[in-house]
Order: sequence, then structure tokens, then C-alpha cells
Amino acid sequence: MNVVEYNQIIDKLALQVKSFQEGFSILSKAASLKNLGENFCHILRANFLISDVNLFYKISEETEWESIRLVNKNCYECLPLLTASSGATFKFYTDKKFSIIATLPQVDKSYWGLIIGNKIDNTELSELDKISFQMFFQLLDNAYQSFLNQNKEKQLNFSLNHRVVQLNSLIDTGIEISKLHKSSTLFELSLERAASLTNASYSVLKILSGSQIISEIIFPQNSDFEKALNSTKRIETFVEFNGLKYLFTLSEKESRNGIVDFDQTDEILLAAFARQVLAAIENEHLHNEAIENERLHQEIETAASIQKRIIPQTLPNIKGYDLAGINIPSLEIGGDYYDVTKLKDGKYLLIIADVAGKGVASGLLVNTLNASLNAYVENEFTLTEVAGFLNKIIYNASTPEKYITCFIAILEPDSGVIEYLNAGHNPIFYSSKRKIIKLDKGGLALGMLDFELPYESSFINIEPGEKILFYTDGITEAMNENGEEFSDENLESFFLNENYNCAESFIKNIIENVKKHTGDTPQSDDITALYICRR
Amino acid sequence: MSVEFNLITETKENCVVINTTGYINNIGGQKIVDEFNNRFGNGINNVILNLAHSNVVNSIGISFLIEIIEKLNQTNGKLIFTNLDPSIDKTFTIMGLFQFAKKAENIDEALKLL
Repeated sequence: MNVVEYNQIIDKLALQVKSFQEGFSILSKAASLKNLGENFCHILRANFLISDVNLFYKISEETEWESIRLVNKNCYECLPLLTASSGATFKFYTDKKFSIIATLPQVDKSYWGLIIGNKIDNTELSELDKISFQMFFQLLDNAYQSFLNQNKEKQLNFSLNHRVVQLNSLIDTGIEISKLHKSSTLFELSLERAASLTNASYSVLKILSGSQIISEIIFPQNSDFEKALNSTKRIETFVEFNGLKYLFTLSEKESRNGIVDFDQTDEILLAAFARQVLAAIENEHLHNEAIENERLHQEIETAASIQKRIIPQTLPNIKGYDLAGINIPSLEIGGDYYDVTKLKDGKYLLIIADVAGKGVASGLLVNTLNASLNAYVENEFTLTEVAGFLNKIIYNASTPEKYITCFIAILEPDSGVIEYLNAGHNPIFYSSKRKIIKLDKGGLALGMLDFELPYESSFINIEPGEKILFYTDGITEAMNENGEEFSDENLESFFLNENYNCAESFIKNIIENVKKHTGDTPQSDDITALYICRR
Repeated sequence: MSVEFNLITETKENCVVINTTGYINNIGGQKIVDEFNNRFGNGINNVILNLAHSNVVNSIGISFLIEIIEKLNQTNGKLIFTNLDPSIDKTFTIMGLFQFAKKAENIDEALKLL
């Protein structure tokens, strides 16, 4: 080679280097594999004055060649000459329709195959052409690796962004379903999110009571339950609450290459969604319970206000007598009752009663006693007959553990004669000549037994200056913090020794005494008292 | 809740409007791409994807949408999403779709962006 030829080669190589740089710049911007291949063919055509450039690609050794750019269909005859070997192969021909047949293995086990026709000017490929061609083929190799790296980077970005979406959606879904109070809506939302975040084709929720299916929901709506639940590609988890089992299934994880297995992240996500649903169900249950409690509370308040009307707000004015009463229930609805009623014959009915137990059931019995007593007492029945009737009514109206103790008195105001009957109630204090007489004659508590047990009434005559205290055991059994009761003795002593000019003051003071005794100890029983003294 | 995937296509000016219903997953995404490929070219270089009746999308569905975006970018075409459910809007934002595609309240607003 002389100096001139040598300089020509140098110039040509310098030109080729520029072409390589421009070529790589073009190829590295390829948006797709086809785009990459087509651009490579354009570069070859421009650099070798060859129009017949055919490019093939195959994903692996076992797959068929796919054409990326096909100019000459005759090149299919040469496909067997494209050998899938571990290194690049170049075969140059001068006696065929094609001048170059080359194969380029890639790092991902795919192959490029190139079949190039003859030069436009029909000249043979020079040695420089052959070297340049091999360098361009190396350029394709580099560009393809760059293309793969870009794709990997895209996939990595996509995958990272998808993870962020999963985390975000998990948080958002938790917030959204916690605001929902309708089970069906929260189930639908959780199924939608669970399917979309794990790329599942279907998500199913089965609610079971034992082996019985209570409800089945599928996403997307109207999909085939059988297909979703019988798929071999599925994962399941369940939560249980209130005797029901909530079974979640994700079925058929999608990919661009078909259905694949669910991974560990999918299982974690499904379990997280199931826990969110469980929390929402528990919250909904508690919410409903709170509403029900509120409703019951309102009903009890209504019942309490009805019962309060049975307890007299004011007592009748009985000429020659001073009287006062009080009722302090320990719960909203008490089981104590007292009343003073003027009868048609000018006499007065005085009653105090205590239902065993407290609360709504006791309140109902108090109402029954009040209504029955008013019905009978105005008729011409004797007090013992009335007690007999009341016993039967209360017995029939109550459960076995419920009964009523009561003290009923009929006062003839002018004479001071009182007929009384004590039905199992604590003895009523009657102060006569500075002595206490305990009025305890009568019979068993009302409603205790259904036998026709005879009730017995007795008579006293209340003189001016004498007094009677009706009370319930809520006073005598009121306990202080040491568990000590106010006691019968204390009450007797108070009743006997304290002299008050008016009944109102007496009642007020006895309550103050009881409260002083109990201190901060909560009231455990109803407190009721009725005090009458003859002026 | 999503029902079976379906789409209705209409052409407005130089733009194809694809209205979808249902879950945009492998099946839904493929149908959208097929519809896009059928309409792409022939003077149509812009796409409005109206997702008013699609409130659930998975990442496979998104990969199909990215495919459309990449193809349109090569020809300086535009893809505009409309009537996005807030959860899809957030997902597309995180996935970076709005770097290469736009969004509009509705189809009329989308047409103004073209």
C-alpha cells in the first residue's frame, strides 16, 4: 500500500467514525425494536450504497426468524444460512444474489440476522467495506444493549411507580372504607382495589355462616363465579367476625404474556385489604350498636317520663293533716311507688310499694299495680279483696322472681281511722304517744304466690300530733363506703325524736340524713318515703 | 362496580374519541390499543380517551395506554384523558402518564386542548 492509498483509507475511516457517532445517536433514540432495526437498515444503505438490506430478528435460538425489514423476498432462501451461534458470524459472497449474510447474537439470547444484496454500482465489497460493515454490526449490538437498558429502566420506573400506587391505594382505600356505613359498598370498593392493585382478573368475596353461603360478590360485576373460583391461579384469605367468615379470593393474575402466578406481595396486599374490611365491619357493628343503644336509651327515657307521671307531683290537701312524699329512683326507671288519692266517699287511699328489682321490668309492674289499684279501689271491694285481686294480677303479669311489697291504707280524715294492709312490706312506723308502733299486719307480697292466701287488714286511729312514716328499704339499706347500712334503728330513732312542724321539712331532713350517711357512695336502690301527721 | 369491558368510538375533527366502560385490564387495554391502531393514521393523530364509565384500571391496562402514548409521541400526536375518577387520576399521576398525556374535565374541554 502506498502513501496515497494509506491516506485515502485514513480519510475514509475518519468519515466512518463520524457516521458511527451519528448512527449511534439515531439508534439510541429508537422507540421500539422495529424502529431500531429499520433505522439500522437506513444507516447501512447510506454508508454502503446498497438498497437491498433485509433484517431479521428472533427472540431465542428455538424461535423462528421474524422480518424487521424485508426488501427482497428472495432472501428467504438464505434464512438457513443465518446460523444462531454464540459469536457474530459474517459471510461475504461474490457469486450470489447477496453479498453479506451475517448473524449477531445478543446478550438476552436473541439474534439479529442480516441479508444484504449487492452494491448499486455492482462493484464488489472492498476490504474496508467489510471492516466497516463489521464495525456497524457492532454498532447495532451496542445500540440494542442500550435499547434493552432503556427498557429495563422504564420497567423499573414503572414497577417502582406501581409500588407507590399500591401503597397509596391501600392507605386511600382504608380511609375511604372507614367512611362507608353500607357493607355492600365497602365490599365492592375493597374488591375493586384488591383486583386492580394485584392485576387480578377477578376478585370474589364469599360470606359464609358455617358452610352456608350468605352472600357472594364478584368483581368485575356479572363475571363468572365458577371461572374465577376454579382457576388454578388464585390466592385466598379470610377474616371472621360475629360468627361469619369473609373469604376473599383473587383469581388469574394478568401479565402482558398471559396469566401468571400471584406473588408474595399480592398475598400481603390481599390480607391487608381483608383486615381493612374487618375493621370496617367491626366499626359498622359498633356504630349500629351505638345507634341501638341510643334508641333504647330514648325508649327508657320515655318510659321513665311515663313512670314519673304515676308518682304524684303534688299531694292532695287533706284537712287536718300535713303530708309530704319523695321518690328518688336509683336508675332512670325505678321500682318504688307511692300515691295518695281521694276516693269518692271522701276517704283517702295512701300507698307505698316496692317492686323486687329495678329497671324497665319493675317499672312495668309499678304501672300495672297503679292501674289495677285505681280500677278496684273505687268499686265497693274491701281492702283485703283488693289485695287478693292485686296479688293475682301481679302474679300473672310478672316473672317468678318479680313481686311487689306494698302498704295500703284507707284514711277517714275526720275520725282519723285508718284501715291498713301490709303486703310483705317493711313495717310502717306509726308514732303514738312517743312510742313506735310497727304496722306489719296484712299478708304476703303481691305476686309472690298464686294461692288464694287470705289478706288481713287492721285498723288504727291517728290522733292529733301523731304521725306515720311510709318508707321503702332504699332508706334503711342505704350503704356508706364501709358497707354500713343506714339501718332500721337509725330511722326509728330519727322518726321518734325529730319533731318537725311540717311534713315537707321532715322528708327533706330524712333525705339529708341518709345522704350524709352514704356520702359519695352511689345510690344503689330507690328511695321513697311518705310522711303524714295529724295536726 | 365495573361491568364487562366495552368501548364505543366516535370521530370528531381530526380526533378519535374512545369511550370505555368497565375494568381497564389486559382485555380492556388490548381492546383500546386495537381500536387505536385501527383508527391511527388516516389523518387522525389525536386521541381522547373518555373514562367516564371506567373507574378501575390495573397496571397491565396502564401499560397498554403507555403504548398508545409512545406511538403518538413519535408522530407528535396527543392523548387526552377525560372524566377521570379521582382514584384513576391519582394513579395516572403517580405512574407519570401526565408527563406525556393531558387530562380534561370532559370531551368538549379536551377538544379545546387540541
